[in-house]
Amino acid sequence: MAASCVVGLGVSLARGLVRYAEASRLLAPCRVLPQSCIHTTTALEGNKNWERKNRVLHQPQPPEETRRAAEVYHCRRQIKYSKDKMWYLAKMIRGMTIEQAIAQLEFNDKKGAAIIKEVLLEAQEMAVKSHNVEYKSNLYVAESFSGKGQYLKRIRIHGRGMFGIMDKVYCHYFVKLVEGVAPKEEPRTGFDQAKEYVQQLRNRTIIHSL
Amino acid sequence: MSATGLMVFFRRSFLHLESRILQAIGFNNRAVVPALAVQGPGIFPQPHRNEETEEHSFLDNIFWMAAPKKRRTIEINRCRRRNPQKLIQTKTNIEPCSECGNLKQKHVLCGFCYEKVRRETAIIRGQIQAQEGKPLNNPAVETVVLYEGEMPADTDAGKRIVERKRQRPSWFTQY
Repeated sequence: MAASCVVGLGVSLARGLVRYAEASRLLAPCRVLPQSCIHTTTALEGNKNWERKNRVLHQPQPPEETRRAAEVYHCRRQIKYSKDKMWYLAKMIRGMTIEQAIAQLEFNDKKGAAIIKEVLLEAQEMAVKSHNVEYKSNLYVAESFSGKGQYLKRIRIHGRGMFGIMDKVYCHYFVKLVEGVAPKEEPRTGFDQAKEYVQQLRNRTIIHSL
Repeated sequence: MSATGLMVFFRRSFLHLESRILQAIGFNNRAVVPALAVQGPGIFPQPHRNEETEEHSFLDNIFWMAAPKKRRTIEINRCRRRNPQKLIQTKTNIEPCSECGNLKQKHVLCGFCYEKVRRETAIIRGQIQAQEGKPLNNPAVETVVLYEGEMPADTDAGKRIVERKRQRPSWFTQY
């Protein structure tokens, strides 16, 4: 009698859980939801967080607040290029308007320049089509950086029977375009950087002390 | 301080000084100490097994090669890789082309306009090739390209005429 009661309780609990899961859409395919995901990615897939940033939905703004600038996140994965070499190009276009960035990349001779230019044009099109950007040239590069992709390993034969493991390098490239004019940044002098460093050292707290 | 103690001290210091001087010259003790007092061919080394001596000299060469003493930290590596000399300079000589509006460098022909002209000339060359038939068959006269609705002028009397079935492009002036 007690056992059947317990079983009954367990079944109702399970049903309640399932109903709750369905209500909160836990059991829906995880690629659709930004929150409440069951882990379904394999080791080979990597993080796809940058693509998810475009799906973020902000609360409606009250009328007196200044309009939030439109942001577009775009990336390209597994580019056959070195992340260190790509970094130089990403660093060059940080803070530029999109037209300026495209102009600079067009006349740069590096292999990554053509790839980044394609990514920027794609992102510009995306911005105008689906991110409510009015003028396609009213965008600037807010963030731009490269990351390490998944490498293939090969054997490189040396003399005397020795061998090394050669990496076939791949990289990712990430860019964030924001509508409007880029904020003017004061160039940080070495003295400012030194002051900040000393301040950081002073801000440290000693834990587990009196 | 006894006299014998002093003597011992002086003798030892003299020997030490001597050995230091010999070391400075390059005369190391390790080759000299277990020395045999044998005359004649006995003291000359036997020339056998060349590979062994070669291997020794190979290792000796390695012994005096330059090698990094410490691993370069990432902070030092970043200072080297990111200093302004290694960053890419932005170009200040980019301007829009006055003909087509695409971007071009000031001292270089516009890529778009060049490509446009290249395509038309490729078609004209194809037609010339078709007219000639085989290679090195060009007539020893000038060539004139005529577009839709154009007649050869009096000055084009003996010239070879290449016809193109389209309107004359604005950039290809006739006279």
